[in-house]
Amino acid sequence: MVVVFFLFLIISYLLFDAIPGNAFQNLLLNPSLPPYAYEETIALYGLDQPLSVRLQKYIVNFFKGDLGYSYIQFPKTAIELIGERLPRTLMLFSVVNILAFYTGFFVGKVLAWRRGSKSETWITITSVFSYTVFYPWFALLMLWFFGLKMGWVPIGKFLTPNKWYDSPFDSDEVFLEMIKYMVIFSLIYFVISILTKEIESLTQRRNIRLGSFFGLIVISNFYWNTGVLSDMRFYAGDIAYHTILPVLTVTVVAFAGTALLTRTTMMEVLKDDYILTARAKGLSQKRIRDRHAARTALLPVVTSFIFTIVTIIDGSVLTETIFSWPGMGQLILDSVLREDIPVAMATFSFIGVFALIAHFLADVSYAFLDPRIRIKSQG
Amino acid sequence: MNEINEKSELRKIRIQSIKRNFNLFKQSKIGILGLVIVFIFGFLALLQPFLFMTNIWDEATYHPVVGYDSQKILATVVSCKDIEYPTPEYKTPSDCPAADEVNIVAVAPYNPGIKEGDVIEQFIQPAPPSSKHILGTDSLGRDVFSQLMEGSQVAFVLGLLSAIVGVGISTLLGTIAAYFGGTVDAYLMRQSDLVLMLPTLPLLFIISAFAELKVWHLALVLGIFGGLGGSVITIKSQALQVKVKPFVDSARITGGSRMKILTSHILPNVAPLALLYMVFSVTGAIASESILSFLGLLNIDMSWGLMISVAQADGYINQGMEYWWLVIPAGLAVTLLAGGFYLVGRGLDDVFNPRLRRR
Repeated sequence: MVVVFFLFLIISYLLFDAIPGNAFQNLLLNPSLPPYAYEETIALYGLDQPLSVRLQKYIVNFFKGDLGYSYIQFPKTAIELIGERLPRTLMLFSVVNILAFYTGFFVGKVLAWRRGSKSETWITITSVFSYTVFYPWFALLMLWFFGLKMGWVPIGKFLTPNKWYDSPFDSDEVFLEMIKYMVIFSLIYFVISILTKEIESLTQRRNIRLGSFFGLIVISNFYWNTGVLSDMRFYAGDIAYHTILPVLTVTVVAFAGTALLTRTTMMEVLKDDYILTARAKGLSQKRIRDRHAARTALLPVVTSFIFTIVTIIDGSVLTETIFSWPGMGQLILDSVLREDIPVAMATFSFIGVFALIAHFLADVSYAFLDPRIRIKSQG
Repeated sequence: MNEINEKSELRKIRIQSIKRNFNLFKQSKIGILGLVIVFIFGFLALLQPFLFMTNIWDEATYHPVVGYDSQKILATVVSCKDIEYPTPEYKTPSDCPAADEVNIVAVAPYNPGIKEGDVIEQFIQPAPPSSKHILGTDSLGRDVFSQLMEGSQVAFVLGLLSAIVGVGISTLLGTIAAYFGGTVDAYLMRQSDLVLMLPTLPLLFIISAFAELKVWHLALVLGIFGGLGGSVITIKSQALQVKVKPFVDSARITGGSRMKILTSHILPNVAPLALLYMVFSVTGAIASESILSFLGLLNIDMSWGLMISVAQADGYINQGMEYWWLVIPAGLAVTLLAGGFYLVGRGLDDVFNPRLRRR
């Protein structure tokens, strides 16, 4: 794993190094950079030294978190820019992923269960459509329909500038507060669902979970009324209002992959003998579907879902470009197009770190979810 | 004599198995649907050169990149003022000027001395669909249907080329990893881990920053990255299952060389899975090409992504359905062709994976 990561760093450096001409020659052409920045960058990357030294310097710098100034947004460094953009991408896409995973899993489950019916064929075709839909086109159409024609949601951007004109807060400050709230909310809900896992009756369990969900919403209403937060509420609402359309669009596109995969694995599982046994025992249809079949089918779905996180980063480039959402994807596209090499390099390497962590999580969760692997490693 | 008989027997068995598999494939409705879609686009792609060659289509009018044609109409000059709507003639501000009218502000600079009520000749670009241009023309007076055909040629060439390259690489490496094991296997697995880690789109951005990407370059790049990535792992696991089958052992005992075992015993058994991967990777390749040309990072004359990009840059997408012939066909074509290949893959999956069959 570590070796792979180092290889990745080396490849990403060589890739930028291979850009014809001197990739850093932009420095000389940019009048907004003062001379000291120029010298610092040359010293930092060792640009006057041979390749092996440059490579070594880059890797050391990466771990130090010191990747030099951005050429275009000069006083900011590459790391500062990433620190500003990363939470926005993370927030948007974690919300989308959770939504997409649950809807996708549910739809796939129902599809496999109703195999052969007319509704199954149609829903499958619809999900294939949304799985293969040309994403920028779809996003533009959504933008046109909901933003321009209906006027329900704002067309792109992170916030409405006139509302923030005399705001006492920085937008990042408010946004971090929102992230904190989201994390706390989902953690509490997660704990509740784990605690209610053992309840036998399915309807009772569902009622408890729904009840606690609405309870949490009521509590969070109080939470946003306390202290500084009551002033922030207005601005947080503005940001939340801007997230609606991107979240909706990406969810519609992203759920289909999970749904189709769940359908396939579930169909395989439904052929197994223990499902027949469960039927023969006279268990209710819903219990067989949710407790017996779906849990086994969940395993490959979760794994492949974590593997698609890299794909999600790919998708974020498009989403953020079309909805003008200032996140990592837009940063990397901008910096590559305008040859802001330090930022492009830093972003690319960071995405690699992301993917690495995702793969590691995939391995761990596989062991956690599949008892067969756990038992093997213990004995 | 005996050998010839054996060969014809073998051929018969092959034809039979293809027939049987096709019958299985026919059972899945979605597979047939996908095949029909793919054939329609293939027909479109082949039709355009045919039309040009037989001079049914004039290149000057219908060429997807440099052709020009615009619809001429006689329009009455009116003036649209900033007054309160509805007026007796127009309901909303966007109704003025109407279809056969033109605003005086728009034509006055080019026609000195023009006044309200005059009738002048106007060129309409983009022109709506007519019998001459089935899907109308775009903002530069080019035939949209012809562009659509050109785009499907690009999509087919790119999709199939990258899929063949990718599947060739991954099948070869996957079987090698399974057959030889040990260090080779470990190395290949680490390599595909690394490739899986690379974010494709940003990587393509960077490559396009220092190289002029043409379609076949992109096909090669996509093929190589697709071929080195996750599919090696899947094909290796399939080849491992084949490797332990008795017929491989008996081939080894009878003195078959490594190459012989690899090519004539293991590869044919991995081939169905490889075909499946090929079909699925076409979907991804078509989408990647469209995205890159949509963002303007691909050196290409005409493609579906570029059509949408032009429509967006000229602001027709935000006009919505008023200019539907610029907005809908290109995006729908990408979606349908990618979806068609995906559906074919699903149908093949039902054939090759017995656990998915209904009976």
